[in-house]
Amino acid sequence: MADKKKIKQSIGTVFKNNIYMLKQVAHYTPGYFVFMIIEGVVWGLINSAEAIFTFNLLNSVEYGGNFGKVVLILGIMALFKIITGAFDKWYWHIYNPLLKQKLHLKMQAELFKKAHTLDVACFDDPEFYNDFVWAMDQSDKRAVEVVEDTGKLINRVVASTALVSLMMTVSPWVAILILVMSVLTIVLDTMVNKLSFRQSKENNPLERKKKYINRVYRLADHAKELRISGADGLLMDEYDQNTEKLIEVQTRYGKKYFWFGVFEWMVLGDGIFFAMLIYLILQMNAGALQIGGFIAIISVYWRIRWLLSDLIERLTKYSLHSLFIEKYREFFKFEPTVKSGSLPVPEFESFELKNVSFSYDFDALPKYKFHDEDYVPPKKEANRDALKNVSLSFKKGEKLAIVGYNGAGKTTLIKLIMRLYDPTEGEILYNGTDVREFDVDQYRKRIGAVFQDFKIFATSIAENVMNGEYSESDDKEKVLNALDMADFSVKLDSLEDGIETKLTREFDEKGTNLSGGEQQKIAIARVFASNCDMMILDEPSSALDPNAEYRLNQAITEKTKDKTVVFISHRLSTTRMADRIYMFAGGRLQEEGSHAELMARNGKYAEMFRLQSEKYELTQQ
Amino acid sequence: MSKKEDKKGKKKKLSFKRTVSNNLFALKIIWKNAPFYMTVYLISSIIYGILDFLVGSFMLRLIVDSISEKNEVSRIITIVAGLGLINITFNFFMQWFWNVLSPRYTNRIAAHVEKMLFKKAGEVELACYETPDFYDKYVKAMDEAYTRVTKVMRSLNLLIQRIVALFSNSLLLFFIDPVLIIFGVFPLLLGIFRRKSNVLSHKISTEQKPLNRRAEYVRRTFYLGEYAKEMRLGNMYKNMLRDLAATYTDFKAIVKKYRVKRALYEYFQHIGLEVITILGAMLYSTYSAMCVGVDNGGMSIGDCVVVLNSIGMISYCLNSLVQNVSEFGEHGLFLEDVRFFLDYEPAIKWGELTVPSEGGVLSVNNVSFRYSGSEEDTLKNVSFSLNKGERIALVGSNGSGKTTLVKLLMRFYDPTGGDISLDGKPLKEYDGESFRKSFGTVFQDFKLFSMSVKNNVLLRKSTENEDEKVVSALKNSGIYDKVNGFEKGIDTVLTREFDDLGENMSVGEQQKIALARVFVSDAPFVILDEPSSALDPIAEYKMFENMMKATEGKSVIFISHRLSAAVLSDRVILMENGSIAECGTHSELMAQNGKYASMFKKQAESYLGSEVVSHG
Repeated sequence: MADKKKIKQSIGTVFKNNIYMLKQVAHYTPGYFVFMIIEGVVWGLINSAEAIFTFNLLNSVEYGGNFGKVVLILGIMALFKIITGAFDKWYWHIYNPLLKQKLHLKMQAELFKKAHTLDVACFDDPEFYNDFVWAMDQSDKRAVEVVEDTGKLINRVVASTALVSLMMTVSPWVAILILVMSVLTIVLDTMVNKLSFRQSKENNPLERKKKYINRVYRLADHAKELRISGADGLLMDEYDQNTEKLIEVQTRYGKKYFWFGVFEWMVLGDGIFFAMLIYLILQMNAGALQIGGFIAIISVYWRIRWLLSDLIERLTKYSLHSLFIEKYREFFKFEPTVKSGSLPVPEFESFELKNVSFSYDFDALPKYKFHDEDYVPPKKEANRDALKNVSLSFKKGEKLAIVGYNGAGKTTLIKLIMRLYDPTEGEILYNGTDVREFDVDQYRKRIGAVFQDFKIFATSIAENVMNGEYSESDDKEKVLNALDMADFSVKLDSLEDGIETKLTREFDEKGTNLSGGEQQKIAIARVFASNCDMMILDEPSSALDPNAEYRLNQAITEKTKDKTVVFISHRLSTTRMADRIYMFAGGRLQEEGSHAELMARNGKYAEMFRLQSEKYELTQQ
Repeated sequence: MSKKEDKKGKKKKLSFKRTVSNNLFALKIIWKNAPFYMTVYLISSIIYGILDFLVGSFMLRLIVDSISEKNEVSRIITIVAGLGLINITFNFFMQWFWNVLSPRYTNRIAAHVEKMLFKKAGEVELACYETPDFYDKYVKAMDEAYTRVTKVMRSLNLLIQRIVALFSNSLLLFFIDPVLIIFGVFPLLLGIFRRKSNVLSHKISTEQKPLNRRAEYVRRTFYLGEYAKEMRLGNMYKNMLRDLAATYTDFKAIVKKYRVKRALYEYFQHIGLEVITILGAMLYSTYSAMCVGVDNGGMSIGDCVVVLNSIGMISYCLNSLVQNVSEFGEHGLFLEDVRFFLDYEPAIKWGELTVPSEGGVLSVNNVSFRYSGSEEDTLKNVSFSLNKGERIALVGSNGSGKTTLVKLLMRFYDPTGGDISLDGKPLKEYDGESFRKSFGTVFQDFKLFSMSVKNNVLLRKSTENEDEKVVSALKNSGIYDKVNGFEKGIDTVLTREFDDLGENMSVGEQQKIALARVFVSDAPFVILDEPSSALDPIAEYKMFENMMKATEGKSVIFISHRLSAAVLSDRVILMENGSIAECGTHSELMAQNGKYASMFKKQAESYLGSEVVSHG
C-alpha cells in the first residue's frame, strides 16, 4: 500500500529481470542461447563489414582507376553473401523454429507443474489469479522475445559502433551529428513509450469488452440465447459505444503522439539529413570531399539511422519484458500454503473436525507490486461460504449426509476435508492425526470425491475414470465395474470404442459428446474406481433423471456397505438413507441426527423435507 | 473423402482471380465506410513514392552532376533546401493524419467488418457450430477480420509507394544506361521462390492449428480454476503434460517436413537478388565507368556512383514489392475464410408469416432427427401436438432426446424426417424473428451475459418504464430480494469482468435470473429445460408455483427430472431412446402402471418410504 507508485521500475530491476530470463533460456535451451549471441555478434560484424566494403568500393571508383581492386572487392562481397546467406537461412528456417518451440514446451511444462502445486485458494482470489496465474499465459512467448531482442540488440550495437567509428575517421562532424540525433531519439522514444503505456491501460478494459462480445458470437455457448432474443441488439449497441470510446482514447493520445512525431521525424529526421547534405555539398565544393566519399557517407548514414532506430525500439521493450518477468519470478517464488506433511497415510478408521473455522484470507497471497497508480484490485467475494466453529466426527462404515441451502458452506467443508484448503482455526483429524502431517498427495488419494462442479477431461473414458493413470492390463476390470455401478453401462454399450472412446469431439472426430447426466455418471464412476474407504459425493445426482438417481442410490447403499460415504445434497430424497444428517446454514452446523430424529425435532430440516415431499404425497392420496 | 481433399487442396492455392476479388472486397468495404481516409491514404502513397525518388536518387544525381560540372553551389543548395522544406511540410500533415485522424477510420472500418460477421453468426444454424470444418473457418474469420481489412489497405499503400519509386528509379537508370534495366527485371523472376516459400509457411501454420488447439486445452486445464480441484486429486495432470509433449513431437514432424524446402527457396532468392542482381549491376557499372569511360559511351563517374547507390534502392523496392504482392496473396487466403462465412447461406430458411400473438397449435408429425456425423437417429418417429394453453411435461432418462426435441420445436435444427407445423403450416413459412420471439425459454445450459440484470432479463433494449415489469419478473423467479440488495439494483452488471461494482452470482441465482426472462416475456410458447436443477427445494417450490401462475393460458413444455413437477402438467410425455414411450395425464399414466408410474413411485418412495407408496 505504501509504495503504490512503484510502477516505475529502476533500470537495475529491468536489467536483473531480463538477465534472469536469459539465464532461464540458457538453462532450458543452451543451443538457442548460444546462437543468439553468435547471431548477434557475427551478424553485427558482417553488417558493418558489408558497409565498409561498399564504402571502399565507392571510394575506388574513378576513370582509369584500379579496376582489379573493384573486382576483388565485389568478389569478396559475393563470397560473403553466399556464405552468410546460407547460414542465415539455415538458422532461421531450419534450426530456430524447432528450438523456439522446444523452449516454449519446456517452459510451459515447468509453469504447468508450478501451477499444479498452487493452492486451490490461489484460483479463488481474483487478484492473485489475474496477476500471476493467468499472466503466465504469455511468459514463454515473452522468453522468446527477450532472446530475439537481445540477439538483435547485440547485432545493432556491434554494427552501429563499427559504422560510427568508420564515420569518425571520414567525417567527424557527421558522426557527432548522428550521435546527438541518437541520444535525442532515445529520450523522445522513452517519453512516447510512457505515453503508450498509459494509453494501453485506458484501452485495456475496452479491448476486453470487445473480446467478450466477440466471444459471445464465436462460441456455441450463447448461440441459442442470441437466436431467440433481442440480446443481439443490446450487444451491438454496446459494441458501437465501445468502438466510439476506443476512437476517443486513440484520438486523444494521437494528438500527443503527433507532437512527438513532428519533432522526431521533422527535426531529428529530415531536418538533420538536409542540413548534413548542405554541409557535405559545401565540403565538396571546397574540394575537401570526393564524389565517391559523399555517396559513401550518405549510404552509411542511412544504414546507421536504420540500425539506431531499430536498436531504440528494442531497448524500450525491455522494461515491458521486465514487468512480465517480475510476475514470472514471483510466480515461481510463491510457496503454497497447503504444505505436504511427511507421514504415510494409513487405512481409514475415523475422521473428526474439531471446532473448525474457515474464511478466505486473500490478503495472505502475494500481490503484484508494479501496478499502475490508479489500479483498483478486483472486488473479492464476500466470505459467504465461510465456516464457523464446526465440529463433527464419523467412523469407518458410516453414511452421513450434509444438507443445507445454496451457500451454506457445504462445499467448503468438502474442500477442507480434501485438504484443498487448510482451516483458519481448529483442526481436522484423520485417524486422530492432524491431516497436515500426512503426505498430501497420498492423503487425497485415500478419499474418493466427486464435486458438484466436476470436470470431464478431453481424453478417453478409461483415463477419465481412473483420473489419469490407466493401464489396460490392470485397470480394465476396475473401470468397467465402476462404470457399471455408476449406471453408465447402457451408454457404454452404444460406444464403438468402449472405454477407449475419447470424450468430446474437440480433438477426435470419433469422440463423443456426453450429456450432463452422462458426464456426471463418469464423475461418479471415478469415485467407485478409486475404491477408497471414504467417499464424498457432492450433489451426485443433480443432473440425473429419476431412474438413474434411484439406481445410483441403490448402488451406493448396496456396494458401499463397509465404506464411509459423505453425501452433500439439497435433494433430501438422497440423504434420507444416511445414518446421520448434518444440516448447515450460514456456515454453521444447525441440526444433526438421523432422519427420524430430525423430523421429530420439527426444525429446519423437517420444514425443508416437507416442502420437497409435499407434491408426491398429494398425488398419492 | 476425395472430394473433401480436393476442397482442401484448392483452398491452399487460391486462384489469382479469387485473390484479386478478395482484396477488392476488402477495399470496397474501406471505400464505403471511409472514402476520405482512403483518398488521402492513396494520394499520400503516391507522394511518398515520388519524394523517395526525389530525395533518394534524383537529388543525389543533381548534386553529383552540379559538383562535377563545377556549377554555382548556391543553386544546388537552394534546390536541396527547397526539397527539404517540401518533405518536412508533407510529413507534418501526414503525422497529423496518422496519429489524429486515422484511428477514427480504422476502428470504424474494422468494427463494420466485425459486425458483419456477428450478424452472420446470429443467422447460421446451430449445426454449424458442431461441424469442425465450418467452425474452424469461422473462428479463423473472427480472429482475422478485425485487422485484416485494414492490412489490405496498408499493403496497397506500400504497393503504390514501391511502384512509384521503382518506376522513377528505373527511369533514371534507363536514362543513364538502358542495359541496367536487365538488373531491374531479374529480381521479378525471383518472386516465384518467395511465393513458394509463403505457401509453405501457410501450410505449416494450417497444419499446426490442431496442435495449438490441443496445447491450448492443456493450458486451460492447468490455469483455469474450474479444473483445479480434479487436477489435484488424481494424476490427470501427468496425462496433460504428456499430451503437451506429444504436441511438440507432432509439431517437429510438421516443421521437418517443410523446413529444408523452405530454406532453399529463401536461399535461392537471396543469392539471386543480393549476389547476381546487385553485385552484377555494380560490376557492370564500375566496369563501364572505370574501363570504358564516358568518352567512349560508358558512364560518368557521377552516374556510376548514383547507380551504385540506387541499385540498392531498386533491389530494396523490388524485394519488398515481391513481399508486398505475396501479402495480397495472404490477405486473399484469410479473406477467403471471411467471405466463405459471410456468403454462407444458412440452411434454415424462413418465410413471411407472422406468428399470431396468442400462439397456435404446434404439431410434430412423425419426426426423426439425426445429428450430422452421428450414426444413429436421436429422435425416431415422434408425433404429438401442443395445443393452445396446454402444459406438457417432457420426462425420460438422460439422452432420450428431450432436449433435441425442444431444439427442433424451436427450429434450431430441421428434422431429418417428418415435419413440424404451426397451425397446420410448416415452420419454414414463418418469419424467423417472429417465430423465435414467440418462445420464452430457459435452456438447460442457459447463459447470462455480462450486462445489467435488467438487460439480462429483457434480453433486448429496454424502453421507458419497464423497470416495473423486470422487478415483478425477478420477484416471481424469487431473486428480487438478492438483486435489490445490490447497490445499483436491477442496473447492476453481472460478473465483475467489466465493472468493479458488478456482482458474481451462484449457479442457482443465475438460473433464477434466466427464469425471470420467461416471466417477463409475452411469448405464447414457453419452454423450460430443467428449470429447477440448480435450485434448492424451497426456491424450487416457490418457482413452480409462480411459474404456473405466470404461464396461465400459454402453451408450455417443460423438461424436468423431478416428477413432482409433472403432476402439475396437463399431459406427460415419456421419452425413451428417441421415441415417445408413454403419453397421457399424470393420473392416466399412473393408472396405466407402466414405466412412468414405476419411475414416479421410485422417486416418491425415497421421500415417503416404501410403505406409503405401496399403500397409496
